[in-house]
Order: sequence, then C-alpha cells, then structure tokens
Amino acid sequence: MSENIQISPPKLPTRFLKWFCNPLLIEDLEGDLSELFVERANKNHFKAKLKYILDVLLLFRPGIIRSFDIKNRLINTSMLRNYLKSSIRNLLKYKSFSSINIFSLTIGMAACMVIFLFIRDEKSFDAFHEKNMYRLCEIQSFPGTNTQKVALSMPGMGPTMTDQFPEIERYTRFWSWGSQVIRRDDKSLIAERVVGVDSTFFEMFNFNLIHGDRREVIGGPLDAVISKDIALRLFDNIDVVGERFDVDDNEYVVRGVMENVPKNSHLQFDIALSVFASGNEVEAFNNRFGSNFLNTYLILNKEADIEALTDKFPAYLSRAMDNPDINEIYKLFLQPLPEVHLASMDIEHDYNNYRKFNGQYLDVFVLVGIFILIIASVNFTNLTTARASYRSKEVGVRKTIGAMRRQLFNQFIFESVLLALIALVFAIILVTVSLPFLNNLIDRQLSIFPFLMDIEFIPIAIGITLILGIIAGLYPSLYLSSFKPIVVLKGLKNQEKKSIFRSSLIVLQFSLALGMIVCTLIVVEQLFYIKNKDIGFSKDHIVLIEMNGEMQESFNEMKEELLNQSNILGVTASGQRLGNNFHQWGFKVRQDTGMLNLTPSNVHVDYDYLDVYGIELKEGRTFSKEFATDDGLAFIINESFAKELGFDKPVGEKAGHGWYPNDSLGTIIGVTEDFNFNSLHYKVNTLSMVVHTAWGYSEMSVKINGKNVEAALNEIENIYSKFVTDYPLQYEFLDDHFNELYKSDQQMGSVITIIAVLSIFIGCMGLFGLASISIQRRIKEIGIRKVMGASLQELMILLSKGFATMIFISFVIASPVTYVFMSGWLENFAYRIDINPFLFLIGGAVALLIALATISFHVIKAVRANPVSSLRYE
Amino acid sequence: MNKYSIGEFEEVVMLTVAVLYENAYGISIKEEIESRLERKVSVGAMRTALNRLEKKGYLDSEFGEATAVRGGKRKRYFKVTPLGKKVLQQVMETRKQLWDSIPSVAFDFKFG
Repeated sequence: MSENIQISPPKLPTRFLKWFCNPLLIEDLEGDLSELFVERANKNHFKAKLKYILDVLLLFRPGIIRSFDIKNRLINTSMLRNYLKSSIRNLLKYKSFSSINIFSLTIGMAACMVIFLFIRDEKSFDAFHEKNMYRLCEIQSFPGTNTQKVALSMPGMGPTMTDQFPEIERYTRFWSWGSQVIRRDDKSLIAERVVGVDSTFFEMFNFNLIHGDRREVIGGPLDAVISKDIALRLFDNIDVVGERFDVDDNEYVVRGVMENVPKNSHLQFDIALSVFASGNEVEAFNNRFGSNFLNTYLILNKEADIEALTDKFPAYLSRAMDNPDINEIYKLFLQPLPEVHLASMDIEHDYNNYRKFNGQYLDVFVLVGIFILIIASVNFTNLTTARASYRSKEVGVRKTIGAMRRQLFNQFIFESVLLALIALVFAIILVTVSLPFLNNLIDRQLSIFPFLMDIEFIPIAIGITLILGIIAGLYPSLYLSSFKPIVVLKGLKNQEKKSIFRSSLIVLQFSLALGMIVCTLIVVEQLFYIKNKDIGFSKDHIVLIEMNGEMQESFNEMKEELLNQSNILGVTASGQRLGNNFHQWGFKVRQDTGMLNLTPSNVHVDYDYLDVYGIELKEGRTFSKEFATDDGLAFIINESFAKELGFDKPVGEKAGHGWYPNDSLGTIIGVTEDFNFNSLHYKVNTLSMVVHTAWGYSEMSVKINGKNVEAALNEIENIYSKFVTDYPLQYEFLDDHFNELYKSDQQMGSVITIIAVLSIFIGCMGLFGLASISIQRRIKEIGIRKVMGASLQELMILLSKGFATMIFISFVIASPVTYVFMSGWLENFAYRIDINPFLFLIGGAVALLIALATISFHVIKAVRANPVSSLRYE
Repeated sequence: MNKYSIGEFEEVVMLTVAVLYENAYGISIKEEIESRLERKVSVGAMRTALNRLEKKGYLDSEFGEATAVRGGKRKRYFKVTPLGKKVLQQVMETRKQLWDSIPSVAFDFKFG
C-alpha cells in the first residue's frame, strides 16, 4: 500500500496544472510528469515532490497555459444584454403595470428597512458593556399586596453575595439621587441625574471615559465622574481631572470625565459619585438589609450555572437577614443585562431603566414586516401571471428560434430580480426621505446612512432582494416558460381557466391586510380607552414641580401665595408621583385576634391631596389640619385595602406604620374609591395614605386653570422665583408623565397603523392592475351582454362579484386569527376593552369598500364603453 | 536570411527526436538531451519547444500507449516531418558552407 501512495504525485500542483494547462497538452504532459516523479521518487521522495512542484511552476508559461475561453463569455453577456433590453422594453411598454410592481415592492422593502433599523436600534441597548452581567431583581410577595417583580435590591446584597458565591466575580450598586445643585466658586447649575455607584462600576459598564483611569475614578467617597456636558457647563473645559465642585456641603474631586451617556443605555446619569457619598459607613452599608432602594448588578464568571446559583439564594437570604421565613416574602432572581431593556415590562419600581421597551413588540414588527413583503410580492406574482398573454408571442418566437424552457425561465427570473433591484434602490431613497418624519413619530434617531456604509448591510440587502425577486418571479416564470409555441403563435388564446392560485394569493393578501386593519382598530380603541378611562382622579392640568431644600422650608408660604393667584385652582404635595407603584412598607392594624401586619403601597401627602386630585371618598373624612393627630396618626386607605383588611367598617380602626409601637397606633379615618395610581398595565394595589409634615415632600402638584395655561404658568414662575433663588423652575405636566407610561404601546400602535395603511394600499394597487386585466379579457362578453340588453347595474355586479367574494373569504379567514392574536395583546393590560365584534365588521367593510372603489374605475369604464368598439372585429 | 528560422535548442530537440526515431516522447527526449549534451532541461522548456515546432509543422505527433507509472496517461510520440527534415538539412548546409568558407589561417593558433 505504501508503495502506491508513494508513487502518486502531489495533488495540489496537479490540480493547478490541470486548471491552467491547455487541454490539448494536458494528457501527455501529466503522464510525463508523473513518470518523472515516479523515477525520482525511487531515489528521494521529498526531493521528487519539490522537483515536481518546480516543474509544474515552470510549465506555467505562455504556450502551455490555455486560452481562457473568452468566446463563451461573450455569448453569455450578450444574452444577458438581450434579457436586459427586452426587460426594459417591457417595463416601458406597460408603464402602469411596471410602476405598480415596482412601487409596491418599494413600499414593502422600505417598510422592512425601517423595521430593521428600529430593531437594530433596540437591540443595540447596553450592548457595549461587559458580558455575563446580570441585574439582581426580586419577586416580592408581601402580605396584603399584589405579588410583584421589582428591580430594586438591598445595599447589603451585592457585597455579601460576592463574598459568599465564588461564581460572582464582582458587583456594583447604582443608586439614583435625582437632581442636585452643583456649585463651583460662584457658578452653580443643576445636574439632573446624579447617582451613587461602587468603585467597580466603570469597569463593569464600559461608558466611554475621556479622562481618568476606569479602575480608579471612584476610589473614595468624595470622588466623582462627570459627563462631558457637565464639565463644559461647569468648567468650560473637559480636561478637568483634579478640579473640585460642591454638592450640598461636600466638596468632590473630579477623577474622570466621560462622554455623555449614550441614548442606548438603560442607565442614564450625568454625575456618578460613590455610594458612600451618602455618608453611610462602609461596613454598615455593605451589610445593610431590610429596605430595597437601589439597583445591584453582578458579573458572573463564565462557568457559572445560573439556575444552580439561583437555587442557593433562599438559603443565603435567610442566613444574611437572619430570618428563616424571609423567603416567603422575597425571592431573588437574576435578569441578564440584554433583557433589562427589552423584557422588563412586568417589572415594577424600575426607575433606572431609560426608555424600556416591550421586546415582544419587536417580534410583532418582524412579523408585520414579513407580511408586507408577502403582500408586495403577491402583487408581482399575480400581475405578471395575469399578463402572461401579453408576452405569449415573445415566448413562442423565442422557443421557435431554439430557446430552451430553462433559458426562458432564467430570462423571466432575471426580469423579476431586475425589478426587485430597481425597487431596492427606490426603497433606500424612500427610507432616506421619510426617516425624519418617522423618527419624529416614534421618537427615535434612526438613520440609514451608517448602514449604507456598512460592509455587511449591502450584501444582505441585495441578497434578500435577490431572494425576493426569485420567489416572486418563480411562479410566473414557470408559467410563462411553459407555453407551447404552436398554440401561442397561432393566436389561440390559452385556455383561460380561472386561476385558483391567483385567487388564493389575493385572499392571502387581503387576509393579511384586513387582519392588520382590525388590529389597528383594536389598538387604537385600547389606547383611547387608557387615555380616557376614569382612573379615579384628575390628571389633567396638573403641573408637577420638584421640591428642593429651599422650597421645603417655604412650602406653606409659597402654597398660600400660589392659591391667591387667579389661575391656580389648587396646590398640594406628596412624597411620590402618581403613575408608578408607590413604595411598599409595613402597615399594622389591631384586630380582635391581635395585630395584623401587611405591606400595602404607601404615600405621604399634604392635607388637601384628595381634594386637589379629586379622589372620591367612600367613607369617613379626608385629612384636616384641625386634628393634630392627622399629622402622622391618621390613615386613609383605598377600597382594595379595606377589603383586604376585612373590617365591616374600617373607619375608626386602630392602625399604624409597621414600626409604630403597638400602644401608640393611629386611626383609619377614611376609605377612598379605588383609583389607578399605577399604570393601567397593573391592577390597583392596596394603598395607605398618610400626612407627615416633618418628612418633607418630593414634589409639589399645582392644579391650574386649563383654559389659561400660559397665564397660570407665568403666575407659578413669578412666585417660584420669589422663594427660590438659585434653582430655576422646572416643571412637568402630569398627563405627559402618564403618556410616557404607554409609550411603548403607542409606538407599536403607530407602526401597526402605518403598516396596515400601506398594506391595504399595496393590496389595492395589485387589485387595480388585476381588475384592469380581467376586465380587459371580458370586454367582448360585456359588449355582447350590453347588446342583449343588460343594464349597467347588472354588469357592475357581474364584474365586481368575483373580487367581493375573495374579500369575503379573506374576512372569514382573518377574523378568528386576529381575534386570538389581539386577545393575547390585551392581556398586557389589567384594564382593557372587550374586543368588539363590530370592529371586525368595520374592518371588513372598509376593506371591501376600498377594494370595490379601486376596481370601480375599470368596471365603470368597461361598462360604459360603446359595445360597437369592442365587437367591431368579430 | 533563411525562410526557416530555428533556434539552437529547437534544433537539438528536433535532432534528438530524429535520433530516437520511434521512441521519441517527452521523457525520452528530455533524458536523451540531458545525457548527450550534459545539460539540464526542464519539462516546461522542452514541452514549449516541442509545441512550437509542431505548430510550425516541423514535428508531428500521435498518442501512444498508456502505462501505470504515467498514472494511466498516454504518451505522445513525436517524429520529424519532411518539412522538418528540410529545415534541419538547410541548417546543416548553412553551417557547412560557413565552415568551408573559413580561411585555413583563421584557426591556425600558435601557442608559445
């Protein structure tokens, strides 16, 4: 055996030889070489190989190298040129059909491109940080409140877990401190987003540091990293490492300057200080358990098994909190970083999650993009097939001259690919032109330009276009190339049987379009419902003003002056803003059997909170300054909580915060109707409200006269500047804040609406073309019928009947699917509309009307034509 | 000048083909030249020359038998065409005339 292997010459050079060698010379040359090789190999195998290679290389010379057959290629390109020429002639000859085809493909592709850009943008969130990062979250099941997923954790968790679990490599905490006034010499400005983080933060999150070493920027409690923007505003310079600034009474040193945090980061901040800037002792803070008020991020090592790790959490937690029953309340889980942005819709108290988006909607977008492409390709397939008779002569002649079916097939595929490529060019132009408008609508900064430069995007786009062209052209090409030359050249019309294939494509098209119309109607109705549902308090014309130190001190005087203004109807304040879940903490009531401990949502408010917000009382009374005990010892609960407590008459029962001693409890003084203080995605939680004047409020709510907003804002501005000197007025409208809660849903709604409109539009273009062809074909029939005395009405019904039937079938197919799909979507809302069957009828009627209106152009033209012109030649 | 131009290497190749007579194929020609003239000949150089000569019509070729050492490929046997013979003769005659024309003193080297 080894002999055999030895005497065969090396393969690669032989292959090279075969490739370049003139085929006339190859046989004996190869033989000669192999003979030589065998002879040499008997002396020295290795040398023989080398010589063989050398010989082959020396053969690579003129006289031996084959002529690379240019002739064959010339034939190919000239054939292609012929295809191109006949395609272009056809495109120009039937302008309306070409433009319908190209235009619908253009719209379909443009829609897909925008969807692609949108998804790329959403997926780019947090992509630049360390891998293997997780956010520590909790599932809380407090007694007396809904079970909820929460993004917050306790300060002790990060450090102790990292100590105890080898899988966890490092942690950082992220503690949001809201806006702060920062000062330097005589300059002061507001940094809106100041946060506290651990020293590891910048090593885990790769925010771009312009100056400073990411391992050292947050070393001590007075170290700070500021954004470029803040640096420019405060120092007029970005190279400011070592400079100092003040917040409250502390002086901080700038250790790092970072690029402004990009928009595609779920964490947003302008200044990062150490968590210990809060004045907490390191040792105590790192072992602090009990309340959840910050975010914890963990990096696991690569081998870590998430499930196994999560299984160890309960034992850890009862150890850490020294409470064996703690796991009945808390269940810890790890959320992978990529999911924070796209899969946090069911997570509450998620304060540091900028622009969080419902990731399921991305799948919906992909689906919708595919749908619109299908609708566009169906147009192409249908119109080309229906127009087959226009090109039957061409096929006949080509076949007679000797074209094979395969060649004709290739020609037609070539044509449809060409069309798709033209559409691609138009689509890119269309996207470029319409993006600014779309960005405005969906609040994004999408741009196609980076992708046009992208080496990957262009081949992908062209590849998809080719595939699209081939799929759309497949059936017409098969069909067209199947014509028999004798039949078509003799002028015999192909047996014009009704094409089931074409009809079912139309049904498919209209099912999709109709489904999307109904979806749009349902989404719009649900969003309208959310916007206008009676949520139990008035959220309109409420101006929210954040309360800083100066405002806290002068709150009462300021309130008094504001109330004296003509356009201000009410002023109150609270510790938390409506529209989120309120923080939950312990609440106890005395029952016959003993103390009952529960954990409802809590908010502390000003005395007139219920009046200003128009929250209805069911029983009891509201807070009043006349009762001294109302400051801290009087509670107003909501109906859900009252039910949870189980008293017949809750008013007058003894109750208090969880930390109140049992012998100094307050009283429940009132019960309100349930109102939706949280977003309508969630059910109303149990709630307790209390007045604590000493705690200070975080936000002032000013109810203004809706008829005179401008004047009211001026009044607020004037009074504000009287009391607050170094903090410019910043306000927000409550209803804006509420709109923000449903932004993800609203954007989904916009996208679906646009796509639905586009798809019905494309579908109708196709229908328009088809109607023109099918009516053209029946023009003689119409002529005869007319001569025989058919009325215009009868003819119109005759011509529209077929299309109407198809729309009806689409309706029957689309409705149940849409119903199931939309019921699923509505599950996202705790408060939702029932799907109204009437909407389906509206959708169906709209589709039918649009379709009939579309074809009516051709129908009326055909029906009104003089029969003489169509029958003359018969 | 002569209407049949031919290079020195080509001449050698043609003469060798003639010498080998019925056994003139690639390897045998190469080896014959190598042994008689004591010079290395590459397959490429030789094959190009053979090819060129065949194109000019001085050589003719036909396929012979295939053998195992040749990997099942046939040999191409060359032989000199009448035209080829004429060319060779002409070359020889030209040389001969030149030799004859050399004056006898020209090569009368005296050493000393």
